[in-house]
Amino acid sequence: MSALILISVLGVVMLYLGIFSRKQVLAPVAILGLLAAIALFATGWHIPHHLLGSMLEFDGFATSFSIGMLVITALIFLFGPDYYERKEWHVAEQYALMLFSLVGGLLLASYSNLLMLFLAYEVLSIPLYVLAGGKKRSLRSNEASLKYFILGSFATAFMLMGITLLYSLTGSFDLGKLAEHMAAPGASGMVLNFGLFFVVVGLAFKVGAVPFHFWKPDVYQGSPTLVTTFMATVVMMGGIAGFFRFIDSTGMPDSLARSMVLLTLATLLVGNVSALRQTNFKRLMAYSSVSHSGFLLLALLTDSGLHEGHGSAVGGTLFYYTFTYSLATTGLFILFTIAKRANAGAEHNGIFKGLWHANPWLALCLLAMLLSLAGIPLTAGFIAKYQVFLLAIGAGWLKVMGFGVLMALLGIYYYIMVAREAFLPAEGSGAFVVSRLNWVVITLCTIGVLAFGLWPGWLV
Amino acid sequence: MVLLALLLIPLAAGSLLLAMRPAAATARGLALTSTLFTLAITLWLWYAWDGVAVTALSHDWVPAWGMRLVLGYNGIGLLMLVLTAVLFPFVIGTGYKQPVGDAALVNALLLYCQAALFGVFMAQNAILFYIFFELSLIPIFFLLLRWGGMHKRAITIRFFLYTLMGGLALLFSIAYATLQTPAPHSADFSALAALQLPLATQQWLFWTMFLAFAIKMPIFPFHSWQPETYTMAPTQGTMVLSAIMGKMGIYGIVVFLYPIVPLGTAYWQDFVIAISLFGALYAAVIAFRQENFKRLVAYSSMSHLGLMAAALFTWNAYGIGGGLYQTFAHGVLMVCLFYIVGLMELRVGSNNFADMGGLKTRMPRFALLFMLIVGNAISMPLTQSFPGEWLMFNGLWQLNHWMALAGVVLIILGAIYMLFAFQRVMLGPDREVAFGDADGEEHFMLVPLVAIIFLVGVFPNLVLKLVDAPVQLLLNSIPPLP
Repeated sequence: MSALILISVLGVVMLYLGIFSRKQVLAPVAILGLLAAIALFATGWHIPHHLLGSMLEFDGFATSFSIGMLVITALIFLFGPDYYERKEWHVAEQYALMLFSLVGGLLLASYSNLLMLFLAYEVLSIPLYVLAGGKKRSLRSNEASLKYFILGSFATAFMLMGITLLYSLTGSFDLGKLAEHMAAPGASGMVLNFGLFFVVVGLAFKVGAVPFHFWKPDVYQGSPTLVTTFMATVVMMGGIAGFFRFIDSTGMPDSLARSMVLLTLATLLVGNVSALRQTNFKRLMAYSSVSHSGFLLLALLTDSGLHEGHGSAVGGTLFYYTFTYSLATTGLFILFTIAKRANAGAEHNGIFKGLWHANPWLALCLLAMLLSLAGIPLTAGFIAKYQVFLLAIGAGWLKVMGFGVLMALLGIYYYIMVAREAFLPAEGSGAFVVSRLNWVVITLCTIGVLAFGLWPGWLV
Repeated sequence: MVLLALLLIPLAAGSLLLAMRPAAATARGLALTSTLFTLAITLWLWYAWDGVAVTALSHDWVPAWGMRLVLGYNGIGLLMLVLTAVLFPFVIGTGYKQPVGDAALVNALLLYCQAALFGVFMAQNAILFYIFFELSLIPIFFLLLRWGGMHKRAITIRFFLYTLMGGLALLFSIAYATLQTPAPHSADFSALAALQLPLATQQWLFWTMFLAFAIKMPIFPFHSWQPETYTMAPTQGTMVLSAIMGKMGIYGIVVFLYPIVPLGTAYWQDFVIAISLFGALYAAVIAFRQENFKRLVAYSSMSHLGLMAAALFTWNAYGIGGGLYQTFAHGVLMVCLFYIVGLMELRVGSNNFADMGGLKTRMPRFALLFMLIVGNAISMPLTQSFPGEWLMFNGLWQLNHWMALAGVVLIILGAIYMLFAFQRVMLGPDREVAFGDADGEEHFMLVPLVAIIFLVGVFPNLVLKLVDAPVQLLLNSIPPLP
C-alpha cells in the first residue's frame, strides 16, 4: 500500500517539479522514488497481505511482478535524461504520466476484484493515450494517440461488459466468489461464457494478442521511443500479470480454453509471420512483442487448475519471461535511439550498420539481447522459452507447442537478420554517440539477460 | 577438472583474441597453441582410457527442470573429443596459407566453436547437450555470413534455419522426455535412458529427435542445405562443418536414439537404412557428375555419411563399431580433401575442373600426397578408411544381403569419382603453369595428416579400443524387436 501511495505521490511531485523547468532533477528524483518503492515491496516480500477490503492481494506473484515493473521503469528513467535532453516537450508531465501508468500496472498485478481490474486497467491505459501523442507536432504520434485511444476504449467497453455479465451471475465483483462459482458443478451457459470471453478480449487487447493487435505496430512506431519502450515492457508485464490473475481464478473451463487456443495460435502465427517482412525497427519490435505475447498466452493456456500449485509455476514462468523480455527490449530500444541519431533519424533495420566497427562492445550487447529475444541458449530468452515448452508439454498441448516451435524458428530468423546488420560495414557517415549513462543501462540490460540465462534460479 | 580445462582453454584463448585484437601472425600462433594444448590433454585422456565411463563434474543447475551440469565421457564421447582435438590444429593451420580475413576474429570464432564442440561431446545432460549443440552453430554462422563466397547470405540463412529447425525439434523432444521422468525431473542421459516409453510415443519421438541429427549429418532428404553451404563456406568453415559438426549427428544418434527410444529406433530401422543408403548412392552419382572440385568433395562427404548412418542403424557390433570408427577416419579425410581443394583454389583461382589438369609434372610431391589421400578416400587397405568400410560392410551383410550390395556399389562409385577427380586435377598434358609444388607450410599440414591416415590404418585398434566397451553396452540394451 505504502508503495502504491509513494508512486502516486511521486507522480504529483514530478508535476510540481515541472514548474521550475529544471529537467535535470526530474529523473534522479523519480528514480530515488522508485528505489524507495522497490525497498518497500522487498521488505514485505514473503508476507501475503490484502488491502482495501481484499480488493488487492499482494502475494508472491504480485510482489515479484511489482518489483519487476519498478526495476524496468527505473532503467527506462535512467535513459530519460539523455532522451529528453534535446526535446522541448513537457518532460515533467511525461515522467508523471509514466508513473501514474505504472501505478495501474502495479494494481493489475495485484487485483483480486473485478472492479479493481477495471480501475487498474484504466489507470494503466489513460496516461498511455496521452503519452503516445507526446510528439505534438508529429503526425504519426498524433495518429498513434488517437488510434490507441479509440481502440483502447472499445476494449475497455468489452471488458466492462464482461465484468457486468459475470457480476450478474455471482452478485459480486470478488474473484474468489467467481472462482467458487466456476468450481460449482453445472457452471456454464451463455452468460458465463460471454462474460469470460469479453473480459479476455479486454485483456488480450492490452497484450496485443491477435486479432486485437492492430494498434501495436502503429502505436509503437508513432510514439516517442521512450514511451514505446515503456509500453513494450512495463505495460506488457502489467497486462500479462492482469491476464494471469483473471485466468487463474476462473480455472480455465473448456469454453474459455477453446478461445484461448485460437488466440494463442493466431497470435503466434500473425506475430511471427508479419515480423518477417518488417523493415522499420520499431514495427519489428511491435510484431516481436505480439509474437512473445503468443508464447506467454501459451503458458497461460496451461493454467487449467488441473493440479494444485500449477498456477504458481505458470505465474513464475510468466514473470521470468516478461521480465527478461523487458530487459532485452529496454536495452534494444536505447541502442535503437543511439543508432537513429547516428543515421539522421532513420528508423529502418539498417541503421545498426557499422556498429561493430564503431563500438564492438555495444554490438555484442545488441547481439546478446537479440539472441535472448530469439531464445538462443545461454541467454534468458532460451530459459524462458524452455519453461513454456515444459509447461505446454506437461499440460498435454503437444500440437500447439509443435506449432509454437515452428514459429520460434521464424522468430530466430528476423532477430538474426537485425543482428547481422550490426556487423556489416557502415553506410552513413554519422557516428554512434553513447552517453555514459546509456552505456551503463545497456550494459546492465545485457548482463541481466545473460546472468538470468546462466542462473535462472535467481528469478524463479 | 581436465574436462573443464578443455572447455575453458579455447574459450579463454578466443576471448583473449577478441579483447587484444593482435596482428594476424600472433593471432594464429595463439590459436594454434591453444589447440595444441587441448590436443595434448585429449591425447593423454586417450592414452589413459581404460574402458570405464568417466563423470568428472556433476552439479545442480536448475533442478526443477532437470537442468544439471554434468560433464563426462564414455569411449564414444572420448573418440569425438579426440577427433575434435586432432583436427582443430589443422583447421587453424589452414589459416596460415589460406587466410579468410580478420585473423583475430576468425580464429576467435573457430576457438569458440571448438569449445562448444567439446561441450557437446562431454555433456551428460540432454539440455546441456542441446545448449552446446546450438552454441556451436553461432560462430560458424558468423564465419559463413562474413566470409562466405557467392550468395553467402541466402545460403547461410538457409543452413542456419535448417539446423535450428532440427535443434528446436530436439529441444521439444528433450522437454517431453524430461517430463516423463519421475519427479523430480531429470534430463541426465542416465535418467532418460531409464525411461520405458510406450511404442506409440517412441514412434514419433524418434523422428522429432532424429530430425536434428539427420539434418546435421546430413542424410537424404534433409541434405539440401549441405552442398551449397560447403561450397560457399571458407575452407576453414567447411572443414569444421564437414569433419566435426557433421559428426554431432552421428554422436547424437548414439546418445539419444538408442538409449531413449530403442523401440522407435527398431521400428524405423529399415526405413532409415533405406533412405540413408539411397541418399548415399544418390550423392555418389551426383558427385560423379560435378564439374566443381569442392562440390564433388561435398557430395562425397554426404555419400560417406549416408553409409555411416546406415551402418549405425544395423544395430550389430560390426555396424555400430564400424560407423563410429569411420567418424574418425572421415573427419581426417575431410580435412585433407578440403585442404587440397583450398590449396588448388589458391593456385588455379577457381574450383572448376576445367581450369585444372596436367599439374602432376609441375607438382610431383603434391601429387604423391594427394594420391595417398585419394587412396584413403577409396578405402585402400592400410589406409584408415579400410577397416571402417570393412566393418560397416560386414554389419550391413549381417542384416540384409541386398543392403550390403548397395554398400559395395557405393564403394565402387566412390572409387570411380575420386579417381576421376584425381585424374582431372593432376593428369593430362602438361599445362606449363607458373606456380610451384606444395611448399614447406603445406607439407607441414599434409604430411602429418597422411601420417595419421596410415598410422590409424595400420593400427585401427587405436580407435576401435575406444568404442568397444560402449558398443557392447549399447548392444546389450537392444529391446526385443516388435
